[in-house]
Amino acid sequence: MKRTYEEINAKIKRGDAVVLTAEEAIRLVEDQGIERATKEVDVVTTGTFGAMCSSGAFINFGHAEPPIRMSKVWLNGVPAYTGLAAVDAYIGATEEREGDGMDYGGAHVIESLIAGEAVHLRATGRGTDCYPRRDIDTYISLKSVNQAYMYNPRNAYQNYGVATNSSEKALFTYMGKLLPHYGNATYSSAGQLSPLLKDPKLRSIGMGTRIFLGGGIGYVAWEGTQFKTNIPYRNGVPSSAGRTLAVIGDLRGMSTEYVRALNFHGYGLSMAVGIGVPIPILDQDMMANAARADEDIFAPVLDYAIQSRNRRPMMEVSYAQLRSGTVELFGKKVKTSSLSSYYKARLIAERLKRMIDDKEFELNAPVVPLPEERAQRPLEVCSMDEVL
Amino acid sequence: MSKRKFNLYFVPALVNEPITYVLVKDFDLKFNILRAEVVEKGGQLLIEVDGKPAQITKGVAYLQDMGVKVEELNEFVTKDEERCTNCGMCVSICPADAIEMDRDTWKVIFHLEKCIACGLCISSCPPRAMKLKT
Ligand code: SF4
Ligand code: SF4
Repeated sequence: MKRTYEEINAKIKRGDAVVLTAEEAIRLVEDQGIERATKEVDVVTTGTFGAMCSSGAFINFGHAEPPIRMSKVWLNGVPAYTGLAAVDAYIGATEEREGDGMDYGGAHVIESLIAGEAVHLRATGRGTDCYPRRDIDTYISLKSVNQAYMYNPRNAYQNYGVATNSSEKALFTYMGKLLPHYGNATYSSAGQLSPLLKDPKLRSIGMGTRIFLGGGIGYVAWEGTQFKTNIPYRNGVPSSAGRTLAVIGDLRGMSTEYVRALNFHGYGLSMAVGIGVPIPILDQDMMANAARADEDIFAPVLDYAIQSRNRRPMMEVSYAQLRSGTVELFGKKVKTSSLSSYYKARLIAERLKRMIDDKEFELNAPVVPLPEERAQRPLEVCSMDEVL
Repeated sequence: MSKRKFNLYFVPALVNEPITYVLVKDFDLKFNILRAEVVEKGGQLLIEVDGKPAQITKGVAYLQDMGVKVEELNEFVTKDEERCTNCGMCVSICPADAIEMDRDTWKVIFHLEKCIACGLCISSCPPRAMKLKT
C-alpha cells in the first residue's frame, strides 16, 4: 500500500480525505490493525504547545520622515536586535525589559502584537547623511508595520528529558520549579501527540513543509539548532532529545490562543508556541509510527541538581507513566507536571484536522530533507589553534 | 453542618490560652490546622472549622473576645481561565492537592475548598494565570 502527496491533496480538494488526529489514529490501529488503518487514513495530525525559548520575530517598521537608521531599538522597553538594515529588527522571546527584572520581555511583546495591541517603539541612531534622524518615539502595531514574521531557530523538540532534583533545596529552572528530594518531576513533550515523534526519521518533515504555527500557517525553514540524530531509540522512537525544527510564519494570522508569553520564576522568560504538523500516511511504516502510543514512547529522567552538560540519565520512563500523574523514582512516588499543555496539543491536532477537512490546508513534500546524520557539538574553552 | 476557613492572628500573650480546647468543648466544632506560623510578634493559624453554622459564628465571636484577630479565608488565589494553558505545572507544586488534572479533558481543575493559601502556585505558573485574589 503506497500513497503519494498528489493523491492526498487531490482527496483534500475533493473533500474526501480521511484525516485523524494522532490520538484517533492510535485507537483506530488498536481496533482495526495497522493494515486496514493504513488503507483508510490519508493524514494524521499532531500538535504540541510547549515552552520554546529559541523563538522570536523579525519586524520591518517602515521608514520615518526624516528617516532614521536604527542602531538601538526598544519595544515596550524590551531591547530588540537591530544589527541589520536601517529599520529591520529581531525581537527575541527571552529578552527582558530593561530595568525591571524578569517579569516582562520579548515574548510579551510578541503576544501583544498578535493580540492586535499597540506597542511602544523607541529607537536611536547615529544620524547619517542618508538617515539624518537620531531618535524616534512612537507606536507600532501589526497593522502599521511592513513585515512581522516569527522565525524560531529551535522549536518542536523531538522528545525531551524529564527533570527532577535530588538536592536539598528547590531549583528554579527552565523545567519549572523542582522541589527538593525528588519532590516532583517535570516533563515537556506532548508524547503521542508530539509532531517529530510521529515521524521519527523525518521522512515527511523537511525544509518547506507546511505546518500549523501559532494559530496560522507556517513552514519548516531549516534544521533546528542542536538538531541531532545520534540518539538512543526505543520501540523505533528516540528516547531522548533529538531532532528540532527552525520554523517561520507570519505573525498576522496567529492567535494568542496558540502563542503565550511564559515566565519561569527564578529562571527567566520563554514563549509557548503551538505547532502542528500533518503526517501523510504514505505507507504502512508511516502509519505504524504515527500510531505509536504513550506506552511505547520513553524519556530519560535527569537530575538537575547535577549542574553539568554530562548529566547521565537516571532511568527511562514512558509518557503513559508520566501522564498518569506520578512516576516511581527509587521506590518513591513522585508527582509529575507537564510544562507543555496536552490540552492545547490536542486542540492543535484537532484544529489542523479541521483546516485540512475544510480545504484550507494542503500537504507538501519537503523541498530538501533535513540531515540524516548530525551529532551535537559541545563548546570547549580552547586556544585559537586548538579550535581549528 | 458547614465548613469554613479562618486565619487567626494572635499576640504572644494569647499563646498559652486553651482556645482550641474551648472551641471543641463549648462550641462542638471540629477543626483542622492547615497552616501554622509563629513569629516574635505572635502567631498565625489557618484552620478549617467544621460544625453547625450558628456554632461557628459563636466560636468566631468567642475568639474575637479573646483578642484573636479572625479573618475568613474565602478565595486566596484565583485562576485566570483565559491565561491558563492547562499545562499542569501547578499540579505537582500544590502541597494541598487543590489542583487536579482531569485526565479525560486534560484541563486543570482548581478546588478552592482544598486551598491552604500557601501561594506556591502563583510564582510557579509559567503564563501567570494563578493570581493573588485582591
Ligand atoms: S501552571 Fe498555570 S497555566 Fe499551567 S495549569 Fe496551572 S494555572 Fe494553568
Ligand atoms: S495557594 Fe497553595 S494550596 Fe492554594 S492552590 Fe496554590 S499551591 Fe495549592
